[in-house]
Amino acid sequence: MTGRDRVLSALKRIETSRVPIGEIGGGYTDVIIQAVLGDKYDLGPDAYFLNHQRIREILGADIVGARVTGPPVEMVGIHEDWGTETFRDYWGATHTQPPDATVQLVEPIANSPEELESWRPPDVGDFDSSQISRWKNNTDFFVLATLNAGFDLGYELLGFERFMMWTIQARDTMKQYYEKLIETNLTLAMMSAEAGADAILIADDLAFNTGTFVDPNYLRSDYFPILKRMVIEIKKQGLPVFFHSDGDLRNVIPDLIDCGIDVLQSCDPNANMDIPTLKREYGQDLAFMGNIDVDLLANGHVVEVENTTRNLINDARSEGGFILGTSNVVASYCQPENLKAMYAVAHKELK
Amino acid sequence: MPSDSIQQAIIMGNVASISADVNQLLSEGVNSQKILDEQLLPGMAIVGERFKRNEMFLPQVLMSAQVMQTAIDILKPHLSGNPEARHRETVIIGTVKGDMHDIGKNLVRIMLIGAGFEVIDLGVNVPAQRFLDESLKHQAAIVCLSALLSSTMNNMREVVQAFRNHADLKDTKILIGGAPVSREFSQNIGADGYAPTAPAAIEQVQHFCGQ
Repeated sequence: MTGRDRVLSALKRIETSRVPIGEIGGGYTDVIIQAVLGDKYDLGPDAYFLNHQRIREILGADIVGARVTGPPVEMVGIHEDWGTETFRDYWGATHTQPPDATVQLVEPIANSPEELESWRPPDVGDFDSSQISRWKNNTDFFVLATLNAGFDLGYELLGFERFMMWTIQARDTMKQYYEKLIETNLTLAMMSAEAGADAILIADDLAFNTGTFVDPNYLRSDYFPILKRMVIEIKKQGLPVFFHSDGDLRNVIPDLIDCGIDVLQSCDPNANMDIPTLKREYGQDLAFMGNIDVDLLANGHVVEVENTTRNLINDARSEGGFILGTSNVVASYCQPENLKAMYAVAHKELK
Repeated sequence: MPSDSIQQAIIMGNVASISADVNQLLSEGVNSQKILDEQLLPGMAIVGERFKRNEMFLPQVLMSAQVMQTAIDILKPHLSGNPEARHRETVIIGTVKGDMHDIGKNLVRIMLIGAGFEVIDLGVNVPAQRFLDESLKHQAAIVCLSALLSSTMNNMREVVQAFRNHADLKDTKILIGGAPVSREFSQNIGADGYAPTAPAAIEQVQHFCGQ
């Protein structure tokens, strides 16, 4: 059975000989790939594809994440405080990456609701979907095409606090903003489908570990109806829809089901998102992916990782609807031995 | 009565009327410390409680904090010359070196301001030395450290060590928070406390101050 078949079986609620396993997005950071591949790590011009293929083969992963890619970012200056280059993405926001740190927003796409009203998203029609078709045509992995929707991308382009305040101060403008972002991402979804994606992953963080950032009633009135239209359009292409959000989503799971989401990914145990519990309540309507704490892979012992993985598989595998993975992606600070242990248990725990 | 509407303005996040209402009370001779203690702080305390119970959400808290900040900006000159004014404890806050995440840190900052603290926000990616320098400069007795990543939370240890090794800062109360940290980690690195949520951070800081 191929990885693709195994994931599709899980989505059809068919329990396979072992649970499907994998990660979303890039899945494994380069530091981890180097540590796992050792001298098999490729340095040539095709290194990204070869290394990502090899790590999945070595670990026995079933899934590969890919996305439609846009033009390279445009360098626009030097950051005053950090001395690092600032670059503009194709949405129009400017960022920088300070030394030893993650990317930081420097200049949002709009500084006022009025500016946001006149903002136009980029034309993505000539973006490149060959990454997706290459995985589909050359491997048996389940190809999960990643894109965004309106919320997470929305605050990445505006800045978190500004975005949150405008949900109250400029409600109509924000609804139009979600529409624009979702329309553009829907185009990317159609391109992903055409390129051979097996499913679409909508990455859209909505919550803290203690609950949603905004009132669930706001999501119901102003956001989910727009998200639902996006999901319906994707599903017309015959593709299942995965949804990634960190945090505690328990208050809005029925809403996500109503939107047509097929698989909920992340399911961080630190946010009380326990897959066996969620499966008992929603398993008929929703499949679940994730649930292994990234911090366990970073700071735990191999035996701890093995026991946690084994217990999760045994509690969640029944009647499919479950894909094992981390609750985010395998970060560079994870211990490679822990990662290998997690995947090895998935392969040992046969039906 | 402006005094009633001030508390309501805080709770409702209504910035439109706050300046006029605070100025009216001041012109009527109401003590600036009394406005802070009896209107603004109780209003933000209600906001904090409602947030904790998931009855208010982040956008509403941000709006309330904006109203609070507007009111405090008006009161500040009056408080500084007011013999009845209580000393507002200064808290230094920042995300440790290597980490650019600021959502949780900003939320704690906003709620600390709401609770009446003077807050110096050092931003993100802050090296240990800067926490020391700013603590000395502002004579801060409390420092809050934030980290979202397992990799960067270990930089909290360096900050705590730097404070403990500094003759004038070794007694500084250090509170840590962020998704990967735990009470056990806090004890392990010698911090004075750990807060799993923003409201818990405010309670801890108030506890440090004997409130």
